[in-house]
Amino acid sequence: MKASHIWIALAVALLAQTTIVSVLAGGGAPVDLVLVVVVFAALSRGPVIGLWTGTFGGLIQDALSGGVIGVSGLTKTVVGVLVGVAGAQFIVGTIWHRLVILLAASVVHAFCYIGIYALISPGNPVATLGMVGVQALVNALVGILAEAGVRATTGLLERVRQRRRSPTRRRWTMS
Amino acid sequence: MESPQRIGYLVMVVVLGHLLVISAQINAQPGATVLERVTVGAFTQMQRWVTTTFGVTGDLWTGYVGLRNLRQQNLALTDNVAELELELQVQRALAQQARSLERLLRLRETTALPTLSARVIASDATPYFRTLTIDRGRDDGVRPDMAVIAPAGVVGRVVAVSAGRAAQVQLLVDRNAAAGALVERTRVSGLVVGTDTDGLLRMDYVSNLEDVRIGDRVVTSGVDGIYPGGFLIGAVTEVEQGVGLYLVIRVDPVVEFSRIEDVLVVVDASATLTDDVGGQ
Repeated sequence: MKASHIWIALAVALLAQTTIVSVLAGGGAPVDLVLVVVVFAALSRGPVIGLWTGTFGGLIQDALSGGVIGVSGLTKTVVGVLVGVAGAQFIVGTIWHRLVILLAASVVHAFCYIGIYALISPGNPVATLGMVGVQALVNALVGILAEAGVRATTGLLERVRQRRRSPTRRRWTMS
Repeated sequence: MESPQRIGYLVMVVVLGHLLVISAQINAQPGATVLERVTVGAFTQMQRWVTTTFGVTGDLWTGYVGLRNLRQQNLALTDNVAELELELQVQRALAQQARSLERLLRLRETTALPTLSARVIASDATPYFRTLTIDRGRDDGVRPDMAVIAPAGVVGRVVAVSAGRAAQVQLLVDRNAAAGALVERTRVSGLVVGTDTDGLLRMDYVSNLEDVRIGDRVVTSGVDGIYPGGFLIGAVTEVEQGVGLYLVIRVDPVVEFSRIEDVLVVVDASATLTDDVGGQ
């Protein structure tokens, strides 16, 4: 995952989160697409890229949401670093490993977020345990589906490119 | 690969930076920060474009699915029918939009309030906050703390006017939202606050001795200086005797927040209503 790809993915995630997702989910969308991008960036590029993706993605999300700026940035930074470290320490190549990482990352993110808001405004929780569970599941499923979609598309493009380059095709076109 | 020590330092610096930014806002004056203004300004045009494209694509998709089903039922249908079907979809969408605008216009006429109509172009950026973005901003005279209403009732208030033609609206169901309210039947006043956990509102500071019943209509009291008095907020769905001095009251909001398309921004909340328009 190149740096430019991460920026594009972040921009797309933020746009989709604020426009399409809420329309499809009917308000109060239980998915955090920016978190999904942070997790995949950290898994593919390590803790430092995870940290910066989390910081920028979270800060922009804070600015767009009207909440306290820095809360999402901080929680996503922590999640980006943790996922990056986990990705470097363990084998996370299979779909199940990634599913577990996404679930864990969503839960850690939610608890950090709720915790920070509990410190800022006590007695007014931002989410319930049920919401955290649903969001973790939806994040994990969306992440896995998005990754499968990206892999399928890049594979298809690669095959088309190879077919164009193949000598058999060249012979056919010459004759 | 970076050394673990360097990563550790980097994490510490970034986390400290975030904590400083957060603590700076705790006691700061409310209002949009530079980052909010720049980000919302940058994203507004793209959000507007995506919303429009998505709407058009959705309409076309609906038309296509309807057309395919129609073909299965009757193979004799021609391309001409397909065009008519698509046209019908467009006309229906236009009619729906016209009805929505008509309701908005009726609301505008029945109130003595100076208002400004606006379209919703984007919604929540995180699952934890209930906000939406409208296509009216500073250039149109929109300012923070202006009330936002819909034909059904109260929607929320403007919290940030970050771009020339856009503003962020905090919905009444947001956990940080509140409005001065009273029970219409008995004129008992309290404070309606958002909970955002189950889509319901909570009415606080109503004494245990007061008469509040399930089904009672709750309207804005106008004492908060943001929302004009007399607008419908919702209906009481649950009343319990609280542990302390106050009743525990749950209010079901009358506005369906996930389906808001057009709203009115109340430019001057100090004006009064000519009639009770809530629930129309």
